[in-house]
Amino acid sequence: MRITIPPYLQKGDTIGLVAPAGFMPIEKIQTCIETLDAWGFNVQMGTTTHSSSQNYFSGTDEERLADLQNMLDDRKIKAALCVRGGYGVSRIIDRINFKKFIKHPKWVIGFSDITVLHSHIFSRYKIASLHAPMAAAFNDGEFNNPYILSLKDALEGKPAHYECKPHPFNKTGETKGQVVGGNLSLLAHLIGTDSDIKTRNKILFLEDVGEYLYNVDRLLIQLKRSGKLNKLAGLVIGGFTDNKDTERPFGKSVYDIIYEQLGGFKFPICFDFPVSHAKENFALKIGVKYKLSVTDNASVLQEI
Amino acid sequence: MIAGTAVPFKKTFAAVSDEELNYKIPAYLKNGDSIGITSPAGFITYEEIQPATQLLQSWGYKTHAGDTIGKRNFTFGGTDEERLNDLQKMLDDPKIKAIMCARGGYGSIRIIDRLNWTKFKLNPKWIIGFSDITVLHNHIHNNFQIASIHSKMTNSFPDDWNLAEPIQIETIISIRDALSGKRMKYPVVAHPSNKQGVAEGVLVGGNLKTIETLTGSSSDIKTGGKILFVEDTGEYLYSIDRMFWNLKRTGKLTNLKGLIVGGFKVKPDDLGEEFGKTVEDIVLEKVKDFKFPVCFGFPVGHQKNNFALKCGIKHRLSVTEKEVILTEII
Repeated sequence: MRITIPPYLQKGDTIGLVAPAGFMPIEKIQTCIETLDAWGFNVQMGTTTHSSSQNYFSGTDEERLADLQNMLDDRKIKAALCVRGGYGVSRIIDRINFKKFIKHPKWVIGFSDITVLHSHIFSRYKIASLHAPMAAAFNDGEFNNPYILSLKDALEGKPAHYECKPHPFNKTGETKGQVVGGNLSLLAHLIGTDSDIKTRNKILFLEDVGEYLYNVDRLLIQLKRSGKLNKLAGLVIGGFTDNKDTERPFGKSVYDIIYEQLGGFKFPICFDFPVSHAKENFALKIGVKYKLSVTDNASVLQEI
Repeated sequence: MIAGTAVPFKKTFAAVSDEELNYKIPAYLKNGDSIGITSPAGFITYEEIQPATQLLQSWGYKTHAGDTIGKRNFTFGGTDEERLNDLQKMLDDPKIKAIMCARGGYGSIRIIDRLNWTKFKLNPKWIIGFSDITVLHNHIHNNFQIASIHSKMTNSFPDDWNLAEPIQIETIISIRDALSGKRMKYPVVAHPSNKQGVAEGVLVGGNLKTIETLTGSSSDIKTGGKILFVEDTGEYLYSIDRMFWNLKRTGKLTNLKGLIVGGFKVKPDDLGEEFGKTVEDIVLEKVKDFKFPVCFGFPVGHQKNNFALKCGIKHRLSVTEKEVILTEII
């Protein structure tokens, strides 16, 4: 399947900042702005990045929709970086007009709730997007870490080459395919909708945060039962951080659960890949072809 | 050849869908019939099911506690194999006329695809429960069109019947009414947010989160032409909102005849993360383009007022200014 790759960014290009989901105080976006500026990009603040909202969202549905729509439509903006996830893209996704975006694709950047945008853009329009750190990840002196820098490299068009340590649950092998994925809860939530991704011959990556262990088990079973793993090329398991357990313990670690549910397939599997809600979160281009090589010594995910 | 030519004939003249033609109702229970009790999900002790077994026996039924009662594997009522085998035995045993799940929790989804339904299809029997048991209800409905009972389970029977509150007694009695073949009729006080109207259709539904996690699988319910009821507990408002978007975006509201919103025990918003909408707001927003009736506060859910509902059986939902009535129609 052919995929459109938006133009990579040049020095002086403009990156739009938008909050399509949860509220983000402007002071928490500051380091992100400064860093993008230091990288040589112009930054354009969307209206939702300095919202007067008093509730969960960074503005009403109409305000968030209008801001995101403007970011997608404005040809001067070469990439739209979502400053925060949280919850809210599901509420506006079916009202976004992608007409201009399809004609003039640009990079949409983010993760977590932004999985909805990534999956929608990929499944509907076959345009690549960027699963990568958002504004909060730049804070606390982290603006120069390899994960943040992987976003810079991705924007500039440097092919990604990520290596991570072996994990006892890994299934060795080599495979090639377009990378798709994101937040497990949201990928499951999108099953059966217009934004649902097809996973045949793809490399799927999964991460999640703050889920009950039993729910991770249930979500993985949903992926399996809906056929998402049948013709998969490979699987990349990222971080499953801050898990919760029930009063009556589930009795397994989160990786035990994933291994039990997904270990029986033939495709290669890499555990503990640095894609997560924690600091370890490499930029991944959704829709772009990668080679996944899982050996006893290391796992390598490399753009081809 | 004859069967082949008969199919389009039936399709042309039948006003109802093929699915509807195939609805089956298990035999209602008679005095002396046996009810099996099993734990397909969370664990329960033998002592905890005693109030239920004693009451069921006082109604004239025999009870049969399965091997999983008293078993525990962490949160589960035994390993997957143990829970599978116990439920399988009950599905297959012709002497057992109804299976009451001891409790919900989590676990039915882990065994659903390994159950063998051959004997159950030939000799349908009542499956009783709610919450995690939504997996069984929806799987059975989608695949076999066999009716089942969404109701309280053994862990909700009052320890002392003589000290039980009226609502506990009424809800437990509603299980007996359902099992014995009484036609169900529930009048409910009108909720100010209700959308009025009358609908007729087969009743389906259950726990909303569970319904969402069945999407895309062989246990996913089709809701076209039906009345859907949903309930949930312990979810944040944002999560409830996302689940109703899921219903809408997966097309489950498109050809719906009526929507029954049961109890939603909401997990309070975290400080500074106020969602700013009520459950009623959330639902009304999703159904605003549709004309079907909607009622709120229906007595079904993780709460004391959780009445028995027959899934897979045709009901009439009447929502007027004064009251809501859900009636079984055959």
